[in-house]
Amino acid sequence: MNTMTNSVPAAPSAKPAARAWLRTHRSAAVLLFLFIGSLVIFSALAPGFLTLENFTNVGRQSVYLLIVSLAQLLVLICGGLDLSVGMIVALSSVVGATVMAATLAAMPDSPVLAMLAGSSVALLAGGATGLVNGWGTAVMRIPAFMMTLGMSSVVFGITLFISGGVPIYGLPPEFGSTFGFGQLAGVPIPVIVAALMVALVYGLLEWTRFGRHLYATGGNLRAAELSGVRTTRVMVTAFVLSGVLSALCGLLLTARLDTGESNIGSSLPLESIAACVIAGVALSGGVGRTLAVVVGTLLIVFVQNGMNLMQIGAYAQTMVIGAILIFAMALTRR
Amino acid sequence: MSGLGNLAARDAEASRGSAVLSVRGLGKRYGTHHALRGVNLDLLPGEVHILFGENGAGKSTLISMIAGANQPSDGHIEIDGGRVDLDTVARARALGVRAVFQEFSLIPHLSVADNIALGEEAVTGLGFLAKSRMRARAASLIGDLGFDLDADALVESLSRGKQQMVEICKAVGQAPRVLILDEPTASLSEHDTQALFALVRRLKAQGTAIVYITHRMHEIPAIGDRVTVLRDGQMVATVGADTPEDELIRLMTGRTVSDIYPEPVTTPGPVRLSLRRLASADGCVVDASLDVRAGEIVGLAGLVGCGKSELGQAVFGMGKLASGEISLDGRTVRFKHPAEAIDSGLWYSPPDRKRDGLALMRPAFDNMALSSLVFGRQRSRLRRPRSETALVSELSGRVEFPFGRSRESVANFSGGNQQKVLLAKGLAQDIDVYIFDEPTVGVDIGARQAIYKYFGELSASGAAILLISSDLPELLGLSHRLLVMREGRTVAEFVRADFDQQAILEQFFE
Repeated sequence: MNTMTNSVPAAPSAKPAARAWLRTHRSAAVLLFLFIGSLVIFSALAPGFLTLENFTNVGRQSVYLLIVSLAQLLVLICGGLDLSVGMIVALSSVVGATVMAATLAAMPDSPVLAMLAGSSVALLAGGATGLVNGWGTAVMRIPAFMMTLGMSSVVFGITLFISGGVPIYGLPPEFGSTFGFGQLAGVPIPVIVAALMVALVYGLLEWTRFGRHLYATGGNLRAAELSGVRTTRVMVTAFVLSGVLSALCGLLLTARLDTGESNIGSSLPLESIAACVIAGVALSGGVGRTLAVVVGTLLIVFVQNGMNLMQIGAYAQTMVIGAILIFAMALTRR
Repeated sequence: MSGLGNLAARDAEASRGSAVLSVRGLGKRYGTHHALRGVNLDLLPGEVHILFGENGAGKSTLISMIAGANQPSDGHIEIDGGRVDLDTVARARALGVRAVFQEFSLIPHLSVADNIALGEEAVTGLGFLAKSRMRARAASLIGDLGFDLDADALVESLSRGKQQMVEICKAVGQAPRVLILDEPTASLSEHDTQALFALVRRLKAQGTAIVYITHRMHEIPAIGDRVTVLRDGQMVATVGADTPEDELIRLMTGRTVSDIYPEPVTTPGPVRLSLRRLASADGCVVDASLDVRAGEIVGLAGLVGCGKSELGQAVFGMGKLASGEISLDGRTVRFKHPAEAIDSGLWYSPPDRKRDGLALMRPAFDNMALSSLVFGRQRSRLRRPRSETALVSELSGRVEFPFGRSRESVANFSGGNQQKVLLAKGLAQDIDVYIFDEPTVGVDIGARQAIYKYFGELSASGAAILLISSDLPELLGLSHRLLVMREGRTVAEFVRADFDQQAILEQFFE
């Protein structure tokens, strides 16, 4: 609220002040309106929505989208767009599971080593995909939309090639029991991982030089360049971070499913962009806040959860997510 | 000239009868804020009526209402003595009012000819576009106006100055009765400025009433007949264009202003920046040599497209160099990226603040502090909010920027304040040599004075300044020495004692 007292001159009544706040914080207002609105509607309509159990459930379910939305946020802020996040999730799942299963088969006594090896290779694969995305966008100047769309297809092909299109079994049981269903002091471990990532991205964006350069690069590429910012490096790093975060999401999903799957993640590009846009992240770059994206993600998962409880079918749900995205755009733009 | 100047003294009633367009008690409110109030103005046929005032004085609001782009809250507009409602730009155009705003309305991917014909395309009997006819019409219009412009060039490939000419062609192609020009010469070369003045004089002779906004004082007696001065949204006075400069400035700012240029440092120190036979890979710079000493301001003049801006960018590591030598404080250097240049103590401030200079959606604070995290006193991987705030507050003070508003987006500020943010960016780190490229485009006198004062302080502290500008009076007022570039070469050098505007201008052409 600090900004409010700063930007609003002494107003004779509360009304103009509220209006001024609305003008400068339009996207925050839209986000809160949608969030509270959906909570109220589902509390009234969906049986079992307003329970602690359900909210814990939503928290657990939103972990995966949340991590990918953070990945998307980093790329959007620097003026890019990452449509390959979903396929990186699938790649990470398949690559991670394959390596884990192979290592465990060779050394059945060391499940920890298997998990370490699989996770490292999966994260590396995600980072490498991000590196190619960043190279194409920042160095070759291919529009991010085309570059990541193309890479999405490339990565999906690799994933199918490795997995043969079938689930990969033989993971160490500790993997699923810890990173899929484990708890620490009553909090699910995936939730802890996601919270850590939120803190990390928040710190990166708000408190580091890299964060400042990310905003500047997306805000005005030429101006950033002329101010001495190495914009190529900044963009490549953003895409690499996006790839690594997506791969992390792939690992957590693999632990949850207990198998390596190639057919996961296809809805994540749209959902992650929706979560960011609802949260006021500008598609043109330079604007976006971490905590708003957390709320945007929760909003989407709440809506899905509420519709599930109301027994609305999956087809209708897909329609609603798209409609919310368009609705949010219409409200935040003028 | 003197006869026209006397128009100011003429009885208002007498002029009202013959006015093409009259503004009566015009006002504009945004909420409780009055952007403009109680303005009365008569535009006579064949007069150049100059609107003069600082940024934010209400000039833009006034012309946007005359052009139909904005609706008044109070008062009304009359054309030929009859009250009219200019509710759209199309309606204003139909009544013969055309405007050339600073924000262009051009389609970048279309050619110059297509842009000039836009909305009035010629068609063949079958309904197809008559391209050759449109092209011929555009070419003859350009020839008529005496502009140096290629009808087939794509608008996106043109400089801002050339785009300005296309915009003027669009406006005068329809023989308007009232023509509004908003700072038309801000990005025009000297040659094209003269062509524009010739055009304005011709339109005058045909009886067109012209509203002309400018921040360049020397243009007022050169082209104007009467001057209406605005301050804080109110009309201060309408006077003759022969009114002395200091009187106009007093009317505009409400206070007496002494000399707007700072006293130059008397004894410059050793050479800090030295360029020898520089040539750029793209051919814009062919052969440029110059020295800038500590405490010295060296002006670089020349036509738009002569390579003066490209030279600054090439030195800064933005363009590839083909040959030549750059030395900074005696060390030979060659920068591949601006970051290397800044690290070595060289700063370049770009001419187009919106395109190349500022992240408009970001707060002024972030823009000012941007390079301070990489270079200079604040160098750190982590942000340090307290020292950053101290830094931005200090920088704001030095360029006279309102620090209290530094958390607002840059887009919210006037041109003058945006320019101050851009210039302040160069102060956040240890810089010895500054290259300022067109630092006062579209900036009013008040902000200009602050910017000139800041240049004076920089050079007094031992910095070397290379000042690239198309505003000759500014170069004459600030520089110790002045170099002229023509077709990529530095062709002439003048020292302050020998400054002669005519001799310098002659070097622009060959």
